[in-house]
Amino acid sequence: MASLSEEVLLVVKKVRQRKQDGTLYLMAERIAWGPEGKDRFTVSHLYADIRCQKISPDGKAKIQLQLVLHTGESTTFHFSNESSALKDRDAAKELLQQLLPKFKKKANKELEEKNRMLQEDPVLFQLYKDLVVSQVISADEFWANRLGDINNTDPAPYNNKQEVGISGAFLADIRPQTDGCNGLRYNLTADIIESIFRTYPAVKQKYSENVPHNLTEKEFWTRFFQSHYFHRDRINTGTQDIFSECAKQDEKGLKSMVVQGVKNPLVDLLSLEDKTLDEGYGVSSGPPSTSNLNRSVKESSNAAIIKRFNHHSAMVLAAGSRKGETPTDQASETSSTDGNSRDSDFFQPPVRLQEAIEYEDLQRKNRPKTVALNLKKSDRYAHGPVPLLSQHYTTSQDIINSVNHIRHEMVNYKPNLTQVLSSTAATSAIAALSPGGVLMVAGAQQAINQMVPTEVQGELKHLYAAAGELLRHFWSCFPVNTPFLEEKLTGHLEEMLQTAYSKFHIWQTRRMMRKT
Amino acid sequence: MASEDEINLLVIVVDVNPIWWGQQAQREPEFTLSKCLDAVMVMGNAHMAMTRTNKLAVIASHCQDSHFLYPSKSWRGGDSGAEDASSSGDGKYELLSIANNLIAEEIRNVMSKTEVRGNSTDTLLAGSLAKALCCILSIKTVYSFQHLRHVIKAAEDCALQYMNFMNVIFAAQKQNILIDACVLDSDSGLLQQACDITGGLYLKIPQKLALAQYLLWVFLPDSEQRSQLVLPPPAHVDYRAACFCHRNLIEVGYVCSVCLSIFCNFSPICTTCETAFKIQLPQMVKPKKKKLKQST
Repeated sequence: MASLSEEVLLVVKKVRQRKQDGTLYLMAERIAWGPEGKDRFTVSHLYADIRCQKISPDGKAKIQLQLVLHTGESTTFHFSNESSALKDRDAAKELLQQLLPKFKKKANKELEEKNRMLQEDPVLFQLYKDLVVSQVISADEFWANRLGDINNTDPAPYNNKQEVGISGAFLADIRPQTDGCNGLRYNLTADIIESIFRTYPAVKQKYSENVPHNLTEKEFWTRFFQSHYFHRDRINTGTQDIFSECAKQDEKGLKSMVVQGVKNPLVDLLSLEDKTLDEGYGVSSGPPSTSNLNRSVKESSNAAIIKRFNHHSAMVLAAGSRKGETPTDQASETSSTDGNSRDSDFFQPPVRLQEAIEYEDLQRKNRPKTVALNLKKSDRYAHGPVPLLSQHYTTSQDIINSVNHIRHEMVNYKPNLTQVLSSTAATSAIAALSPGGVLMVAGAQQAINQMVPTEVQGELKHLYAAAGELLRHFWSCFPVNTPFLEEKLTGHLEEMLQTAYSKFHIWQTRRMMRKT
Repeated sequence: MASEDEINLLVIVVDVNPIWWGQQAQREPEFTLSKCLDAVMVMGNAHMAMTRTNKLAVIASHCQDSHFLYPSKSWRGGDSGAEDASSSGDGKYELLSIANNLIAEEIRNVMSKTEVRGNSTDTLLAGSLAKALCCILSIKTVYSFQHLRHVIKAAEDCALQYMNFMNVIFAAQKQNILIDACVLDSDSGLLQQACDITGGLYLKIPQKLALAQYLLWVFLPDSEQRSQLVLPPPAHVDYRAACFCHRNLIEVGYVCSVCLSIFCNFSPICTTCETAFKIQLPQMVKPKKKKLKQST
């Protein structure tokens, strides 16, 4: 039972238990007592098993410390050292006070877990009732399969319930009711108490220090509400109030909050304040309205209220964000009492801004990277396949002469369409264009009059002459001035042209058939 | 026979480069711009006279701009009818006489406004062709169409208009517009390409005096009738590309795979896009050194 490898935190001599002298040892995980002279413990309790501790009131002769276990048993230690009994007991009590809460949770957890499971699952509950209550299976066996190893695993998966936040108005909800005779009645529920403890850890600490040793709960709360701490809109006079320390701590917390500043610049409340121009539209400085003394008093009382409100709100926010912190961790709590969530580091705001202004589907798609075409001399492409050498140059004098000449020529231009073509020019052109001519290089090398037989040439000449005559008649009818001409055109000539056309057509088909 | 809805539009683009024509007038006084324009008018009249639905447009291509000689913006059919009646005393078809008069008037205006500018001596042919194309297409939406464009060209090719020219040619090809070319002075590779691509006729005239005859014989019939006629065969077109470095026409060359510029010689860096190329040269076989045993 006595393992020497355990860390011993406190040793108190001359502690009597059951009328026996002995020594009390406080270890890391348990408290033990051994009678004098013997080196083994007769009494040993794990902190997890201890439900609470009690101390005897100050006035009594016997200085005692009682441990109440979960099972209901109690063990009493009597501190019998003449000189330092009180001190010893207090030391032991302090240490226990710190150690017990650590282990309390672990012990309770298992039971809590079991209770929770039974509550949530009616089938399981029924099963439990049937089997364990009627003693078919022992409780241990029943829970052996179901619990698993709760003690080792993270309680987070079982923590399905959301944490309930704190209402910001919880203090205001405690509406005092007049008692009839100049007194006030405050109704405190467990929720309110819990809210107060969560919001003001200093109060919780005071509570755990003083109750149930010095004060009863009722007295504690009476003192609380009576204290200046609660009714703060005033200057702290430093009374012998147990809560004056709390006030000082709060001041410290406020100061540290102010120093830390706003972590999240996106929630910039400073910019929301009204900026009004003073009297005189900011130009003239108005006369001071009140005397300095008045101002300072008024200001300080206003400042006190405002300070209190700010602090209250900050604490409520902080309590909501604080999860599972132990109350022994007092030192760090003041630093965590700023209202901003701890998660918003300096790096978050830019990220949030980015998220706010960027939309994923508006971004440019990631196309494969391409290399741009870099053309230095792009005018090369515009130059056609014209050899550079074949340019002949004109002098500027030439240009001037040419332009003048042409201008002169065209000033009096009148179309002279009857003298366009001379017959010699025409015939030479026709010769060039006919098969065998100059221009018809790729065609037949023979002259056409060698390809076509003579009689066909003759017939064609006759036909051509006849057609020409008819056309001459046709054109001579224009302009149609007289009805005679009109009649000639529409009746006579048309007939003739039709006849000529059909004649030509016959000849053509005859020629074609002959050929084939 | 062409139905009422079918319109045969002939657009004649005449090169009236004053510098060339001025020089030509000094070289050959018998054939001047006036004569040329007369021949053009004859062809235009003939075209309009063949069918009522034939239409004509004439564009003068200058070095400063290109100008519509016919139909002109200032023409109002009814108002100038009285004027023209006096000049058509020879019983001419009114439309023809009006057209002739308008063309004459416009060309007089154009030539009188000619300014002497040394820097732009080239005919803006690509622009004129583009205008003609627009003219054709603007009517195309209304009527169904057969159309021809005929170019009479005098001066040389301008290398700077190459891109525009080719664009116009391909646009015409897409729209089934034929381009014919009648060249007076020197062969034009661009016009040869144009005629080849669009399916028209290219002719370099040996005798300028007989221009009217050539026009009427070769270019007056439209595309359907041409298949029935024996006409000068198409010339061989030189489609060779010119290298970017010397502008020589080459048959085999090197092409940069990045910017597609053509070179006649291999160079490790393309001068247009500055891409470095590596060509695996055949491995040089080092001759084996035979160790000569020196006999002592």
